[in-house]
Amino acid sequence: MIEEPYRWVEAIANRREYIEHQLAGGSPIAALNYHDGILLFTLGRERQKIFEIYDRIAMGGIGHPGDIERLRMAAIEVTSTEGFARSAQDVSLRRLANYSLSPILKAAFEQVYGPPFLSRLLFAELNRGDGPNLFLRVDYDGSIHTNGGTFSRAFENFGVISGTNASTGRMEQFLHGKALANLSLEKALRLALDAWTVGHLTLGEDPGAEMPSAEQIDKHRGEQLASTSIEAAVLERTSVLPITWRALPDADVRPLFTTDSSL
Amino acid sequence: MEFSPIRTALAPAPEDFAGLLRNRGLYPPVPAALSPAPAVASGVPPTHATTILAFKFADGVLVAGDRRATAGNLVVYDRADKVLEIDKFSLMAIAGVPATAWEMARVLEHSFQFYRRSQLQEMSLDGKVRALSKLLRDNLGFVMQGVGVVVPIFATYDLEASTARLYFYDAMGAQFEAADFAATGSGSPAVRSVLHYENTWSARPLAKRKQEEAVLLALRALDTAAEADTATGGVDRRGRVYPIVKIVSSEGITTMPEKQLARLFRKHVA
Repeated sequence: MIEEPYRWVEAIANRREYIEHQLAGGSPIAALNYHDGILLFTLGRERQKIFEIYDRIAMGGIGHPGDIERLRMAAIEVTSTEGFARSAQDVSLRRLANYSLSPILKAAFEQVYGPPFLSRLLFAELNRGDGPNLFLRVDYDGSIHTNGGTFSRAFENFGVISGTNASTGRMEQFLHGKALANLSLEKALRLALDAWTVGHLTLGEDPGAEMPSAEQIDKHRGEQLASTSIEAAVLERTSVLPITWRALPDADVRPLFTTDSSL
Repeated sequence: MEFSPIRTALAPAPEDFAGLLRNRGLYPPVPAALSPAPAVASGVPPTHATTILAFKFADGVLVAGDRRATAGNLVVYDRADKVLEIDKFSLMAIAGVPATAWEMARVLEHSFQFYRRSQLQEMSLDGKVRALSKLLRDNLGFVMQGVGVVVPIFATYDLEASTARLYFYDAMGAQFEAADFAATGSGSPAVRSVLHYENTWSARPLAKRKQEEAVLLALRALDTAAEADTATGGVDRRGRVYPIVKIVSSEGITTMPEKQLARLFRKHVA
């Protein structure tokens, strides 16, 4: 039955619908530039969602933990062996996403007898020189969305993923045009929390609805902070070691949000 | 760059970086059977021509090494760095065949990072010490062939016990924790005597010494080793080549700046 072209297209469409449905509840993840590098941020309570991949690459994932884990391990293996066999300079997010992850994801998605990856990944790479940082979203079907950083011309200084397209769009809309390059870590954390809140508020929304108001964001942020853990990490340009990753524990970040909630 | 996204079997263990490298043909396999060196090669005794010393002092542990690399009676290189940083708190100092030793250090460095990234926790101190032991053990085939002997020293800071730790190994991978000091390489008999004497009969044991005294002792001990051992490089003042001296403390690793070594050397050694 699947052998007929129409059936195949239908099967793919069903599969897409099924995966989108599975991902729809995924808590958003925001990554954005700040003065010393890149901040990755999310709230959650189930499990870790932001990970170190290599010296200058970090990953965030939503979806099924088993699938995220397989892709995370693959990304670590690919970058580590490349870094060992050649050098750390030869490891690049562009190559990881385009040559390793995307083809595998696409193949798994379109081979309708096998299981697809139920996951949506966000990658961030800290640039070595003066060029822009690269933010990249890799979807379950292997499609890649970047901020343009590969071509030394970034259109955005951030990257986000969320459970639904509507919510992702809202987060991008919220962050778009914000001056991020010289943001202090503290301000970046607050902005990331607001972006997360916008994403979380709009998870179930219709595409036509309006942007949440500042009051709605304030209210929702307070409620969510009380019932979840903060997960944040940075890739710092100021690190003395080649490793730029540093996790920011909930206990260190939370006081920022509770002492003074206004920006 | 390619990967098989579905791990059908759980071998090698996902945290075993050396195993992963072997899987991809990037690291020599562990030989199933060991064959002794052929008769031709036995005329050239395996040497580990160098001097590495390490001892505990008031701030932590100091590791120092000369800069000479030799092949038989030839000096090949006079700026070799034999004290290698593995991670923020760990140093590996090497005596032996450079090709094997540097590769081993590289595998070790990547193993620790790989473990932390994949397992989402830092490898324990015992795990790190053991990881080097396993690399040595896996290298046994080359040792038997007489082409890849490595005898390292491993120094690290134990954050849990707030104390510096020092380990030395034999070429087959046995690990020993040193209480006060350790030395390896062809110049080590001289250095070991100096350190034993200083630790036992001088005014103050090594563990009580301050940083400057400790660095000075290291320079003097290396100079003593270079006096009798041709394979240990002394100080080349014209070329401004001084030994590598690194310190592991609760703060991490510090490399002694060349200027400071030069000043101490001029004042107190030569």
